[in-house]
Amino acid sequence: MSLLALTLACRCVFQLFYSFFKSLVGKDVVVELKNDLSICGTLHSVDQYLNIKLTDISVTDPEKYPHMLSVKNCFIRGSVVRYVQLPADEVDTQLLQDAARKEAMQQKQ
Amino acid sequence: MFRFQSLDEDCTLEEEDEGLVEEEDEIDQFNDDTFGAGAINDDWQEEHKRLAELDERDELAAGLSLGGGGTLGGEPDLGGTQHSSSSSSSSRLPPSAGRLPLPSSLPPLGFSSSSSGLPPPDVEDRPGDGDLAESLARLILEADPAIAGVGAAERPGPPPGPGLSGLHGLDQPRVLQQTSSIPHQHPHHPQLPPGPSASGLPPGPPPSSMLSYQQQQHLMRRGTAPMGQMNSHSIWENSMGFGPVSVTPGLVTHMEDSPLMSIIKEVGLPKRPPQGRNDEGRDLSERVPPPRSSSPVIGSPPVRAVPIGTPPKQPMSHALNHQNSPLCRGPFPPRVGPVLSQIQRAQLLNSQVAGFPRGGPGPPLLPGGGGFRPFFGGPPPPHGHRMGPPPPHGPPNHTPPIRHNTTHLHPQHRRMLTQRMQSRGGDRGRTGGDRRSRDPYSNLMTQKEKEWVTKIQMMQLQSTDPYLDDYYYQNYYEKMEKRQERERDSSKKEHTTKLITPQVAKVEHTYRPVQFAGSLGKLTVSSVNNPRKMIDAVVTTRTDDEEKREKQVWNKRRQILYTVEKMYSLLLEVQDFEKRFVQTPEEDRDALVEQHKSNTEQLCSSLMEKEWEDRVSDEQCVMIMSVRKGKRLISRLLPFLPSPQATAVVMAIARNLPALAKKDKQDQVLCWLVEPVSTVIQSLSSSSLTDLLQELQGSEGQLATVLHNKFGVTLLYLILSEGERMQSSDPNCQLMDDNRWTELVFSVTRELLSVPSSALSPPLFTPPNLLSLFSRYVDRQRLELLQDKLQMSALSR
Repeated sequence: MSLLALTLACRCVFQLFYSFFKSLVGKDVVVELKNDLSICGTLHSVDQYLNIKLTDISVTDPEKYPHMLSVKNCFIRGSVVRYVQLPADEVDTQLLQDAARKEAMQQKQ
Repeated sequence: MFRFQSLDEDCTLEEEDEGLVEEEDEIDQFNDDTFGAGAINDDWQEEHKRLAELDERDELAAGLSLGGGGTLGGEPDLGGTQHSSSSSSSSRLPPSAGRLPLPSSLPPLGFSSSSSGLPPPDVEDRPGDGDLAESLARLILEADPAIAGVGAAERPGPPPGPGLSGLHGLDQPRVLQQTSSIPHQHPHHPQLPPGPSASGLPPGPPPSSMLSYQQQQHLMRRGTAPMGQMNSHSIWENSMGFGPVSVTPGLVTHMEDSPLMSIIKEVGLPKRPPQGRNDEGRDLSERVPPPRSSSPVIGSPPVRAVPIGTPPKQPMSHALNHQNSPLCRGPFPPRVGPVLSQIQRAQLLNSQVAGFPRGGPGPPLLPGGGGFRPFFGGPPPPHGHRMGPPPPHGPPNHTPPIRHNTTHLHPQHRRMLTQRMQSRGGDRGRTGGDRRSRDPYSNLMTQKEKEWVTKIQMMQLQSTDPYLDDYYYQNYYEKMEKRQERERDSSKKEHTTKLITPQVAKVEHTYRPVQFAGSLGKLTVSSVNNPRKMIDAVVTTRTDDEEKREKQVWNKRRQILYTVEKMYSLLLEVQDFEKRFVQTPEEDRDALVEQHKSNTEQLCSSLMEKEWEDRVSDEQCVMIMSVRKGKRLISRLLPFLPSPQATAVVMAIARNLPALAKKDKQDQVLCWLVEPVSTVIQSLSSSSLTDLLQELQGSEGQLATVLHNKFGVTLLYLILSEGERMQSSDPNCQLMDDNRWTELVFSVTRELLSVPSSALSPPLFTPPNLLSLFSRYVDRQRLELLQDKLQMSALSR
């Protein structure tokens, strides 16, 4: 019961990009981390903290990260992500703007 | 004086002697109380070294005795007792250990023979396996620097004695089983005669090393043991007390009296990587203080062998998932499984993971592919953690691919995903090496634990209004479906699939502070569910007027943007009205309709003149449209406006087209307006149409500017086309009633002809009936000219 109350409270902020990334599941993205590592892979799943699971990954930049050679799938904690590069035609910018407006309206209330 | 002193000295000396003696006893007592009865005052480093050597030899020997069926030693007694130890894993260990290449030089591995009696000759018996084991072990050990250091120290020297037990790891059960004491050496005699003490076990109690610490101490105190037996056991046991004892609860037998046993019974240690006792930081349970000699004092927390927070260990959980657990299947009985050392686990992986670089970066690395697969089915899907649909029917060789849990996805999305997977699967075939069905890292959590974690995440994602919370996702896939429907042209009648998301009833949690009548102030009663309100903060919203005043201070553009945003929010509400109307229950519908009305009114009024409430404000429109966002807004707003207002807006656009065109030079987004405008035009009456055309032409030179602009040209064509349609379809149309239309068309054609081709910008599209329109009004020559100019000949009639 208490857990529910707390979690409901912190839920509202997260939904926009979670919803957005959900629509990108199955697409190829490049995730750049804060430690400058760039990982290219297929977006497998995302959660409300924007933790990302990628499958079939490859390190995009010159392979100065050889320890990633054998890694096929990875889980990336959301807080370490700097950028996520998306395919442009998979994004509906108009819809995204609308979603942002709605989120802003919700926040105000 | 002197004598006196000496006397004194003598006296004090004497006293000191006695006192010292007493103090020593007392010190010993304190020592015991602090460290437990087993505390010995010896040099642990030496002990370790010796032990390591002993261990190494012992394990080497033990590991090599394959399937020997427990003939671990020469002692029939021991063997007997060993066998009689029922389901003990220990007796099965050596055979199983033998099958797996062991790092024999690792002392703490529990796979050595528990018996003291593994005779050295066994080492020679199986040289081949020993080499394999040894080489592998060395490979791994050397790779890991931490262990290498230890190993290096241990390797030299002859195997001191075979009888070392794997007390650190797995053979704990035997500790408990041996009730009888064994003879052991006082620790202060380090020189142990190595070698065949194995056979020379005392006739007394079997020399199992697995006595509990305290009992050993008791024995020591009692001094029963013939001191001649200086085998490795003694050292091991004596030092053993400092380490935690890993025991499966099922094997606890007699030692009820010792507090150590009671603790162990209570907890049951989880896996314990026996990395050598030098690595003290590795295992949490190693940080446990050694067991006390007496039960803890009231008031202090009970001594736990495992730190608080260690998840409960359920030994039978491994039995649940047979398929995935190599531990069940492998050479080790289930009980042994959890106590795999890091090295052993690495070896398991080595043997199973294809393509994993052997001895490369070191075994502690996780294998990339194998480890993660089973976890993909779990969180983060917010709605249910059931396993997704079975893997797509790729090529039959395709060993289990990644399981996607798609239950929560929009059906459209799901379809796309499976399509994609199939196509990918066909291309790839058998890449990525051997995908194992077994996962060495499974079963770290029980099903219950997994569900618990999933539930927490799911709770956070339950939403009372999924449409609102998941706005982007839902709309995106709806749009996609619509698009696909349009493309498929309803050949395949898949009716629009709706994503059904579970909804949670919204429960209002209003905080009401606990108050008693007549009391002063608030009570300091707070809990997690209603935390105490510390401050009575009241939210004051500034009124619109004030806001407007503030905004006027800013520059105009910002004001425009602000207006646009406000209108947008209204627009979005209006857009969603329909959807929400369907969803709301009956009672609320009226309210919703009311709100909708007010929204639309507000929208309209925002475009109106301030003074005249019924006229569209040109200025306002232009202002809004000077911003790109505004143009977008208007284009989306037009369909929702009532007809007269929409007409007025379009008129305003036409009237001010040059200005708009100028402002749009950078953005070039006027063409967004084409579609809604064309809709409006098609609903116009003839007189309005004429008016519109007139507006478009406007003052002198306007038309030229219009023709310059793509949108302008398109608009013109639209108007003309509409007029033509009206004329041709409806003979009674009033377009020709006054000459305005004709005149206007004439002027248009004149302009079109006079304008140089370069200045004429190509429209977005050319309506096909323009030619027929022009043919009414112009002679053939001009018509042909027009045709060429406007490139209308390519058009089909």
